[in-house]
Amino acid sequence: MSSLCSVGKRVPKIDAVDKATGRAQYIQDLKVAGMLYGKILYSKYPHARIANINTSRAKALPGVRCVLTGDDIPDIKMGVYKDNRPLKKGKVCSYRDEVAAVAATDPETARQALNLIEVTYESLPAIFDPEEAMKEGAPLVHEEHKTNVLRMPWKLHYGDVEAARKEAAFSVADRFSTTWVTHCCMGTSGAIAEFDPANNLTIHSNTQIPSLAQKDFQDALLTMGLKERRVRVIKPVIGGGFGSKLDTYAYEYIAILLAFHTRRPVKVEFTRSEEFIATSTRQPTITYISQGCDQNGKLLYRDISMILDNGAYTSWGATTPSVMMMPITSLYRVPNVRYEAKCVYTNNTYAQAMRGYGNPQATFAIECAMDMLAEKTGIDPIEFRRINANQPGDVSPQGLRITTCGLEECVEAVKDKLEWQKPRRHAEGVGLASLIHVGGGARVYKSDGCGTIIKMDDFGKIDLFTGATDMGQGSDTVIAQIVAEELGLRIEDIHVIHSDTDICPWDVGAHASRTTFVAGNAALGAAKKIKSRILELGAKELETPLEKLILKDRSIVHRDDPEKRIEIARLLRKAHFSHGGQMMMAEYFYDPANENLGKDFRGNMSVTYTFGTHGVRVKVDEETGKIEILKYVAAHDVGKAINPMLLEGQVYGGVMMGLGYALTEQVILEKGENMNPNFRDYKILTAKDVVPIEAPVLETYDKAGPFGAKGIGEPGCVPSAPAVANAIYDAIGVRIKDLPITPERVLAAIREKQGLDPCGQELGKEGAGECIIEE
Amino acid sequence: MKNFTYLLPRTLDEAISMHASHGEGAKYVAGGTDVLVKINEGKLSPDYLISLRHIIGQDRPFLNQETGELYIGAFVTHRAIEKSPLVQANYPILHDAIKNIGSVQIRNVATIGGNLVNAVPSADGAIPLITLDASVNIYGAKGQRSMELLRFFLGPGQCDLERGEILTEIVIPPQLPHTGSAYVKHGRREAMELPMLGVGVLLSLEEDLRTCAKARICLGVAAPTPIRAMGAEQRLVGKIIDENTLAEAGTIAGEESRVRDSIRGVAWYRREMVAVLVKRMGFKALERAERRAR
Amino acid sequence: MAREISFEFNGNPMKMRVEDHWTLLHLIREELGYTGTKEGCGSGECGACTVLVDNRAVNSCLYLAVEIDGKDVLTIEGLASSDGTLHPIQQSFVDNGGIQCGFCSPGMILSAKALLDESPNATEEEIRDAIAGNLCRCTGYVQIIDSIKSVSGHESKEPRVVAWKTEETNGGD
Repeated sequence: MSSLCSVGKRVPKIDAVDKATGRAQYIQDLKVAGMLYGKILYSKYPHARIANINTSRAKALPGVRCVLTGDDIPDIKMGVYKDNRPLKKGKVCSYRDEVAAVAATDPETARQALNLIEVTYESLPAIFDPEEAMKEGAPLVHEEHKTNVLRMPWKLHYGDVEAARKEAAFSVADRFSTTWVTHCCMGTSGAIAEFDPANNLTIHSNTQIPSLAQKDFQDALLTMGLKERRVRVIKPVIGGGFGSKLDTYAYEYIAILLAFHTRRPVKVEFTRSEEFIATSTRQPTITYISQGCDQNGKLLYRDISMILDNGAYTSWGATTPSVMMMPITSLYRVPNVRYEAKCVYTNNTYAQAMRGYGNPQATFAIECAMDMLAEKTGIDPIEFRRINANQPGDVSPQGLRITTCGLEECVEAVKDKLEWQKPRRHAEGVGLASLIHVGGGARVYKSDGCGTIIKMDDFGKIDLFTGATDMGQGSDTVIAQIVAEELGLRIEDIHVIHSDTDICPWDVGAHASRTTFVAGNAALGAAKKIKSRILELGAKELETPLEKLILKDRSIVHRDDPEKRIEIARLLRKAHFSHGGQMMMAEYFYDPANENLGKDFRGNMSVTYTFGTHGVRVKVDEETGKIEILKYVAAHDVGKAINPMLLEGQVYGGVMMGLGYALTEQVILEKGENMNPNFRDYKILTAKDVVPIEAPVLETYDKAGPFGAKGIGEPGCVPSAPAVANAIYDAIGVRIKDLPITPERVLAAIREKQGLDPCGQELGKEGAGECIIEE
Repeated sequence: MKNFTYLLPRTLDEAISMHASHGEGAKYVAGGTDVLVKINEGKLSPDYLISLRHIIGQDRPFLNQETGELYIGAFVTHRAIEKSPLVQANYPILHDAIKNIGSVQIRNVATIGGNLVNAVPSADGAIPLITLDASVNIYGAKGQRSMELLRFFLGPGQCDLERGEILTEIVIPPQLPHTGSAYVKHGRREAMELPMLGVGVLLSLEEDLRTCAKARICLGVAAPTPIRAMGAEQRLVGKIIDENTLAEAGTIAGEESRVRDSIRGVAWYRREMVAVLVKRMGFKALERAERRAR
Repeated sequence: MAREISFEFNGNPMKMRVEDHWTLLHLIREELGYTGTKEGCGSGECGACTVLVDNRAVNSCLYLAVEIDGKDVLTIEGLASSDGTLHPIQQSFVDNGGIQCGFCSPGMILSAKALLDESPNATEEEIRDAIAGNLCRCTGYVQIIDSIKSVSGHESKEPRVVAWKTEETNGGD
């Protein structure tokens, strides 16, 4: 392992030069000859009946080729529970509902046409609070369901929580909440759809799930009466994903429908405010947690119930409990666990996948409660984690099989690098939080596989076709490194193609931090096949036993006699230009040996798990409530850093996203309406907000991973919020249980602790609390 | 974007007559970073945009050596003010504010005049200037007039300009000896912020370098327009500047403010921050005054 | 209304008719077909559209095209030399992990160029000020700042990632 040439090196991304020179083509940059521009009209109410839509004036505008409403389209059902349609029919259930769509010769005409569509709404009573929406008599978002509570299976109970609660020497219980935040990909959403004369569809789209999208679009074509047509999904360079492209969306179906009706390619491209309003958020949560341990600090039980604001339609947000189960049952060793999550319809926006997929939300509650419990026992938070740390070989109550696990070492790293024992200065504190995440794929669907095809040419150059999706994180580069290592080639010899379902094999999607692990193993499998054929040819050519040969420096070389060698390219040309020539190609489909969750949600969802611990040193300004991060340590057990530079990039990016989640970001919805659909008022962090981050990496060499690697895409943003919340508590003794941790919340909490209302008036006295203006 | 015709007058008179001849459909534009955003958002749809960028004038702040006044032309960019050694050395409160407005890209193009005329409550440009007792020169069909910048703002987005008038210059009077000043913008992140609150404090000290001879406390986003907390100012004049007097002044300034809830911040918190930040900027102004004296 | 303007574009003298209401971003992307400059928000809040006009960084989405008359415009496509050699800043971003999805990169690199042309030895604080108006969601800015520091002569001496290894285990079986 120590003589690796490519793996383990800080190799620049293979697409970086194109991106640095402006050559990379994003969806914004693509034009197809004869293309029309599509635009979408959104609802003006959070909940209303559509009494009438008059599109005649819009249709009459010169340059408009097509106007569609919900009545003009077949019943295409979208979303994980199929309760959504690309254009709504009959009623609207949120401000982001798509009511009509226009295709025109240019974007300005399309925009003007939207203004000419006359929609008559009959407003209906709306509901915005999920806990209120659960009550009898609350307005129903989808009347046909007779209730706002979705029929979801999210319920598990391992062991006996009640018995454990009675036995526990110490217990804590509290309520935590997280709100809507959004991905803020710098490249906005967009798609170009076009049909050929036989009604085969080609769609250019920023998708993280090209193969699944293909299936979704095929289903849509069926619904449109188009049987047995081909669907080709082409990915342009993607301007950021973070989970925002893990489903198929209304705007894609709208592009398809407009293209079908106009017989022209149609491009739909979001403006920034549309991106904020009409794309989905992270799943908000209300969590009631109780947790208890024995005299010695060993966890005995964890009992969690959650209420999830499902918004108007069901998307991946409603399935986040299936991932939240992972930290709930398996972050630290806890023998008795109970979890229930209710998803509730409201007239708010709806959530889908976002980096971490529920893990940040659950870990916030769990790790804050861990600190609260540690305090009750009188045990130092670091020690408390160590007492309960997962160990290699554990099988958690959910059935997760822990193989490599560097959790304890990560905790140690945080303690060391944060100088945990250093005496605190006034209003300064330290806090930590750990994470567990899937690191070896995740069997969310029936397949967790990824295919790779390798073609090697007579010049010793490789074209590698992968189903994986590189959305900027660098999976193409990591795959190239793996193959270069296996075949003794250089990175520049490997050309990775991932962009086209006509060419590339199947992959389930760039989710669950699985790409390095699964696509890496798939590439490695194909490369191994190529390697053995090259070695066979080499053995014959060099008249040497196969076992004595290695691939190195683009050549086949005798291990003990380096003079005995031949360039791979030359060998291949010799083999090719002779009788019985063969292609040098190989394919491999890797589907990890993980399990679907059973009906009781038990199952080893991933082949291995990534662990990490984040620690923060903060300084609280007690007069303003502002938090200064003095130092951030993010330690991760990654198995093997195939590319340390790209791995750091995932960690730094994850940490800054996590800090935004903890401190500054929120989608502000007022009665369902997005009040901050812009970068002015939605506060993602800037370069001036960067904090000192140290990112130590632990390599535990998981044998299941390519060269020992596990996934790292998501872990970087999972425990930031609880680490910060715990540090604030350490600094000034106040615990903020609702994200984001704004200065107002901190100041109000400081004053409350002092027995004052937020403006400094003594509680209980006349006038206390009056300074806060009620809405 | 909607079509408009772009006009490029070379003199103020030319600009005024163009504006007059195109009536309601005419709008002045300087850097464009406010006007173009409004046009994009559909809040403005002028037929004629009259650019003031090419009108000959000074491109940076300059000091009238005779009168000791600092002149800043309305069409000077924020970047030029930010980079001005004169401003950095002698008017630190202005530098404090200007360097944090928007981004380098915005400051390279946006003008101080455009900022003032935009008249938003979150007036990072206006607060330090009011704290320095600035006045503005205005030129129109009826000739030139002058007014205190404090009186220039009438309401959110509204300033005291007749149709066709142009704000041409900002004039800052000479400062008393032993003067220090400071500004802070209170926000959630360190850049690209529209403030929740802006606080500017100026203190001029007597010869003993402890007693206040003059005080100015100016608040942004604490009312529909920039305001001076005159009650708080008066509390400081003639007093020794210390923790207690500054804390008192802060509390009074808080009471004088007319804060409200918005998506950027809640009223109670803004009011609390007035008190905290007036005190802090008071100390900073004091420190700067002391440093200058040495 | 349209008028004829003359300007220099990536070192090439140009003469063309432009509409008064075109933004510089529209001119660059739609009229001249140079798609390296991106629209991220259209309101001057993200910096993805940053180009240099007379060596000053501006948001081209809020800059009227007619205003480049008589000026030099530099977009990302104009930075590398004619033989394809990358500008040192571009090369540094490539070598130091300053690019992930790349959408912010053209604007970011040009903001860095404007800074380093003016202050070749810019400090970390000056770098952060210069790119404060360039939002990035992927990198967390750390490697971007490192990339620029590498050119300004302030790069850190120690390696950033400290990988510490356990024994080559068999994965706990």
